Amino acid sequence: MDIYLASVLTNMTLIAFLALSAYLVLVVGEVSFGQQAFFGIGAYITASVTALAGAHIFWGLLAGAIGGAVCALLLGLLTIRLSGIYFAISTLCFAELLRFFLLHIRFTQNIDGRIIGPDGPEGFSNIRWIFENHYEVVDFLLLAATCLTILLILLFSLERSRIMLGARMVGNDPILAQSQGLSPTRYRLSFITLSGAVAGFGGGLFALFNTHIEPAMFGVMLGIHGLAYAIIGGLGSAMGPLLGVVLDIGLLESIRQLAAYRMIIFGGLVALLLVFRPEGIVSPRLVSRLKSRWRNRHV
Amino acid sequence: MYSLQGIGKSFGGIDVLTDICLTLRPGQRLGITGANGVGKSTLINIATGFLTPDSGHIHLNKKILTYRPAWAFAHAGIQRTFQTTRFLTTANLGEQLLFAARAPESKIRLTQLIRLSGLQASLHLFPDEIPLPVLRKAEVIRGLVVSPEVLFLDEPSAGLTVDELDQFGAFLQQQLGQKTALVVVEHRLDFMAIITDSIVEMKLNRGLVKRVVDVKT
Amino acid sequence: MDMLQTSLDGLMIGSTYALLGLSFALVFGIMRRINLAFGACLLFGASLAIYLEPILGWGAWGLFLITIVGVALASAYVERLCFAPHSKRHGALTAMVASFAVWMQLDEISSQLLPQRTHAFQGLEVPNFWWGEIFVRGDQLLHFAIALVSILLLYLLLYKTRLGLLIRATADSPETAHLLGAQVPWLGFIIFLLAGILGGVAAFMILSADGYVTPLFGLWSTFKGLVAMIIGGVGSLMGAVLGGLILGLVETHAGAALGAEFRDMVTFGLVFLVLIIRPGGLMGVKIYRTDSLARDRV
Repeated sequence: MDIYLASVLTNMTLIAFLALSAYLVLVVGEVSFGQQAFFGIGAYITASVTALAGAHIFWGLLAGAIGGAVCALLLGLLTIRLSGIYFAISTLCFAELLRFFLLHIRFTQNIDGRIIGPDGPEGFSNIRWIFENHYEVVDFLLLAATCLTILLILLFSLERSRIMLGARMVGNDPILAQSQGLSPTRYRLSFITLSGAVAGFGGGLFALFNTHIEPAMFGVMLGIHGLAYAIIGGLGSAMGPLLGVVLDIGLLESIRQLAAYRMIIFGGLVALLLVFRPEGIVSPRLVSRLKSRWRNRHV
Repeated sequence: MYSLQGIGKSFGGIDVLTDICLTLRPGQRLGITGANGVGKSTLINIATGFLTPDSGHIHLNKKILTYRPAWAFAHAGIQRTFQTTRFLTTANLGEQLLFAARAPESKIRLTQLIRLSGLQASLHLFPDEIPLPVLRKAEVIRGLVVSPEVLFLDEPSAGLTVDELDQFGAFLQQQLGQKTALVVVEHRLDFMAIITDSIVEMKLNRGLVKRVVDVKT
Repeated sequence: MDMLQTSLDGLMIGSTYALLGLSFALVFGIMRRINLAFGACLLFGASLAIYLEPILGWGAWGLFLITIVGVALASAYVERLCFAPHSKRHGALTAMVASFAVWMQLDEISSQLLPQRTHAFQGLEVPNFWWGEIFVRGDQLLHFAIALVSILLLYLLLYKTRLGLLIRATADSPETAHLLGAQVPWLGFIIFLLAGILGGVAAFMILSADGYVTPLFGLWSTFKGLVAMIIGGVGSLMGAVLGGLILGLVETHAGAALGAEFRDMVTFGLVFLVLIIRPGGLMGVKIYRTDSLARDRV
């Protein structure tokens, strides 16, 4: 496979984790501008576990996911009474505060003649796992795609369970949810924590692929992009955010001659799309209709 | 047995409810009527856990529910319908009714209720494609599948024609079990007379729920 | 004396933040919407002004005028494309994402107009002077005056005209807003224009005080406006003014005491604390989904 294509696909896969984590928060009815922070924390933790401590990437990625989950849970607990715009802005502040923390972490070791470790604004270089294990771009793409597939399988099985319908109820109409015996607070906290884990895992993969990470990479814009992919793609199923990622990165890469004007075109197209399909492409209604047609055919 | 004792609630300095007391036996059918603004909605909201009273207590079979959140009320067996029927717009009726029936016995009840009410044909539709009388029935069914201790109906006649009301009343009389107590908050006395054993009236500032009509002889 | 100097500087900057906050408060307070493209509109206005400057040669006042016109135009565009089609209650999120898309669009148009990373932004030539031991920048004092005048004009509009009455009635009751919005479809348009004009004034003030404009100005001003609004109490106009002034003061003092880097973090920390402890902000705007069934989520 062409290396360029493999890179693009890998980037899509990594961003998909971020978009899916934004999706998980949107499902319970909240907007988060902070998922990029969990992505970043996951990146730093995975980098530290693999490059500094020399552990296997399984542990690195697991630690990244857990780190993301813990931070997300902390945020969820602090903002437990907030919703809507207040919650959204608090996620933004939390994310920037986390990033500030990353900007000031310095812990470098000299390993095999290389400086390894987080070094403030310079970031974390020499995350050499893919070099040490002779992973070509295509190999890493396979690894990332496999992880993503496993996540999607998990999410799809979640879709079919009561949990997802309950979450959507909490997101759409908390009063209805309560009358059905669902605790909106518990659902929110659970899904926010899960979103942190997903973002953290993706961030870990990102660190491994990029081999160099720095706090500037995990700013607000990254998070808002992930959010946009989820909403444009549609919140009906986990395929929605994926579609959003593919549309943006895929379409845009393919019109590279117009590179200078791509956002002008794309921005306008997206706004236009939303006029006609306000719920995104893979909207919940669409998915529900498709599901019931499927069931009717097989009854 | 479900009871409200000494319930009081004020909003912004205005006492909406003062010392409200109410006791329900299993299978009791009670109607609550009253003029607009007298506090009927507040009462239902407090009785089902969606509002916290400023004073007083709520008991269900020795359990104290007073400061519990609404979902805990639902778990304990207090179900309700809403003035404007509440359904997810993005899932079809069948899915949503199925969601309400978690336990196996609830699923059996659900099948029964659907068959008896003729809702079969509407199950694959979305709530905004379903006519209001059918939706109201569906909301009642949703409340009944869990075999609740108490079912509160919040202005169920709103938006229904006289014929639809008759049908709805007949439907209610058939479907309610022996165990479930029913409380109907309504202002249409004729409708309430059909489905309740007794009606009380809420009066403004008197606070107390007073007896107006004893319907069953 | 140092404190006084810092405070004075803080108030000057704060007055520009107040205008930014007012823009957000107008849109959120009346339409319950967040316009993420706001900063990008400001950047567009400023970029347009610089781009046209050599052609028109109107000097600093020309920049002022074109900035305002450019921002107003961009605001109108954003309103029509991103907010008017999603005016129903649940359209808030979609409108916000659409405004994000247009933010990207406007940002790129701006960089087409201003290809270099930094562009000089000419300011009004006003002499500086000393007031006792305090150094006063003449142009900042003028800006402060302009900000006051703008706020006063807004006040007059809102409280002394029929249009203002309509706007305030809409702000008081979100339900009415939707009813009225249906009957007065241009209300949103007017609000966005107002917000755009205020934003344009603020943009000119900030950029001419700094002396230059960079592509980051869009994101920066969006954030400042949001923060000013939140500190003061979301949707409250008076709150936005106070919030902006306080933000300016806190920021300037933090910068003087701790350095530029910590200055931003103090802002984020302050907002986070406000949200956790008193989300209603200074004005104590009620935000909790009080258990009343009728209350919609903000």
